Formats: sequence, structure tokens, C-alpha cells
Amino acid sequence: MELLETVWDVFLRTYPGFLEATLITLKITAVALVLGTILGLLFALMKISRSKLLQTIANLYITVIRGTPLIVQIMFLYFGITSLIVLSGFWAGAIALGIHNGAYIAEIFRGAIQGIDKGQREASSSLGMTRSQSMRRIVFPQALKRSIPPLGNQFIITLKDSSLVYIISVPELFSMANIEAAQSFQSLETYLVVGVYYLVLVMIFTYLLKLYENKLNVDK
Amino acid sequence: MLKGSNIHKSFGDLEVLKGIDLEVAPSEVVVLVGVSGSGKSTLLRCFNFLERINEGSIEVDGQVVDPKKHKLSNIRAEVGMVFQHFNLFPHMTVLENVIEAPMIVKKMKKADAIVLAKGLLDKVGLADKADVYPSKLSGGQKQRVAIARSLAMEPKVLLFDEPTSALDPELVGEVLGVMQQLAQEGMTMVVVTHEMKFAREVADRVIMLDEGRIIESADPVTFFENPSHERTKQFIQLVD
Repeated sequence: MELLETVWDVFLRTYPGFLEATLITLKITAVALVLGTILGLLFALMKISRSKLLQTIANLYITVIRGTPLIVQIMFLYFGITSLIVLSGFWAGAIALGIHNGAYIAEIFRGAIQGIDKGQREASSSLGMTRSQSMRRIVFPQALKRSIPPLGNQFIITLKDSSLVYIISVPELFSMANIEAAQSFQSLETYLVVGVYYLVLVMIFTYLLKLYENKLNVDK
Repeated sequence: MLKGSNIHKSFGDLEVLKGIDLEVAPSEVVVLVGVSGSGKSTLLRCFNFLERINEGSIEVDGQVVDPKKHKLSNIRAEVGMVFQHFNLFPHMTVLENVIEAPMIVKKMKKADAIVLAKGLLDKVGLADKADVYPSKLSGGQKQRVAIARSLAMEPKVLLFDEPTSALDPELVGEVLGVMQQLAQEGMTMVVVTHEMKFAREVADRVIMLDEGRIIESADPVTFFENPSHERTKQFIQLVD
């Protein structure tokens, strides 16, 4: 009971700063997801294209990104890019997270596109559609719908992974928790509070996703 | 209208078509029969260029089609295909399924495409299902939509790949009815089917494929009453 009381105290003391930090966490996640989705789509299309070169580039990207830790990628990008151009920690972190996500999202899209029955492509071909018309109008819309559950999952992972940008001092939620814990010596309580922040964010997101999926199913 | 000369097609080491010569005249209805594995579906798919032939040539409307030189999408727009499993677009309504290709491929105006599509849906008896998604239709209705969808491109030839094989028996009749009507209107058709009654009543010519070769080609009466090849006799006994 005593712990609960001190946790409550920590919550009351930290929430103005933590809410601000939550906003940064959400922003960095949003940028990473937009970038990741664009890259994912691009690399998925490269991977299923008929060009060996494009396939190789996509495979290389996916292999390297999936084969190295996110935290290494963040550091690499931060120190790599900031030696060339001036870039804030926020943008370096968001871009690193976006590039990281792109590899996973590419595989989600690729799987969904290749999972569409080949009869769909044959039917559109037999009607005179070109490969790209068939992809744009017939295959991709169906694949996108199938991608939504795994994409939602990936989005949740991204939200939580965004905590790793604390390493380049972006003042997001986890960074703030670290600072608070160090200053107050109430580490247990602080990390408990910040854990609840993430949990609530994920639950809200999951709920929104569920609503969206239901809406799609009603439409069909 | 459609002419195949010396068509050879192999999948790996397996030669499925071993030199097929077949010419289909305008308004002719040709029914292809044969046991499974005889190559009849493969032949049909070659005519639609869904499979590339290894040897020989295919002419559409007097023009030899070279897959390297011609844009296959243009050729395919003239050769319609109806599939065993319908392959309707599940994310589109019945009407959207039918107007899609005329709009995308022929750049037809939406309003014109809708008029065309409604006429075709009426023809196949599904005018009232225009705004329904395919998942709400029976197999027979799906196949009739698929036929309307092919007709919307105003093809010169319509190929049917076992159009009733995936249907419950009581739904076969409605699809064959539409096909018979098309035949009477003068549509050039090549039909792979196991429906011998349809072959007897609607075909101008029945062709028997066996192990990748045409072994019998005759009008339905001769084909069923007086076939020349022993394999044909066996086949007719088996299916009739």
C-alpha cells in the first residue's frame, strides 16, 4: 500500500513533464510510421519486381536492417548524419526508427501482396489490364486490407521502440523517466509510472485499430 | 478469328501440348473435351497468353501475336476469359467489377461504363445485384457476373475454362443458359467443359484432346454418334 501511495505521488509530481514527453514520443512514432510505411511499400514493390537489381537492393536493405540492433542503427545514423548535416536528435531518431520499420513493413506488404490469389492477377490480365494497372487497382487494395492487422502490430512495436532514442537525448517519455529516476532516487516508482504511460498508449491504439478493422469488415 | 498453329507447351520436362492446330471461325462455338491432364485448359490459357507457348504461333483476328513485340494487354482485351473459380474482384461491387476494365483499359467514361454494365447485368439476369459484393452471391451468380465482366470489354472471342466445374449441380443450368444465349447471338466461343449436353446442343464443333494432341474434331452429331478414335468412344462412354 505504501508503494502505491509513493507511486501516486510520483505520478502527480511528474505528469506535467511526462505528458509533454508523451507528445514527443507520439510525434517521433508518427514520423517513423509514415517514413516506414513509404519505405516499406517502396521496398516491397522492389522485391516483387522483375528487376534483379531492384530485388538485390531490397534484399540488402532488409537483411542489414533486420540483422542489426535498432540501438546501433540509431547511434550510427545520429553520428553519421550529424557529421554531414545539422540534424536534431529528434529527426535523427525519427529517421532511424523509420528506416528500421521500413524493413519490417516491406516484408508485411510483400507477404500480403504475394498472398493474393493469382487468379486475381490472371482475371485482370485477361481483361487487358497491364501489370501495373492490375497491381494498383486489383491486387494492392486487397493486400492493403490484409496488411492492417500485422501493420497494427508493427505500429505498437514502433511506439515502444521509440523509447530507445533516449540514447541520443531526445526528451521523450523514457528519457524523462531516466532523468526523474536519477534525480529523485525513486527508480522503481518512476519506471512503474512510465510503464503505465506506454501501456495506456498501446491500449488506446489497439482499441482504435479494432474500431477501424471492424469498420472495414462492415463495409465488405 | 482465332488460330493456333503447331502449338507446343512444356512445363519443365513435361510436354503438355504436342503440336496443336486449331482454327476457330467467327461465331463458331468450339467445345474442347478430354480427360484431366489432356492439356485442354493449358491450350485455353495459351490462347489468352496466360501461358507462353514454346513453339508454334497464335493468330488473333488475322494477326500473328508475338509476345515480345506486341503489348499482350492489348491482345488480351480482345480475347475474354471466364475462369473455373470466377476470380471476381472481392473488394468491388458487382457493378464495379464490370465497369473496372472498360474504364481502366479503354478509358471509357464512368457514366458510359455504367450504362454498358447495367445492360450486361440485365442480360445475365443480375440487374438487381449491381450494388452487392461478390461474397453475397451464389456460385452461379458469380459466374454470370464474371461473364458480364468479360463481355464489357467487347471481346472478339470468349474463352471458358470449365465455367461450371466449381458449381453446385443445381446452379450449372443458369450459367450454361447464359452461354447458350451468347452462342445464339453469334459470339465466338471456345469452351472447355465436362457438360456433354451443352456440347451436343450448343457446339458447332467438338474437339477431343488426348495427351496433348487433338485426336478427334467433328460436329456434335458425328462426335457423339460416330467417333472415329477408340479413345473418344471410351471417353464418351465414361462421361455420358
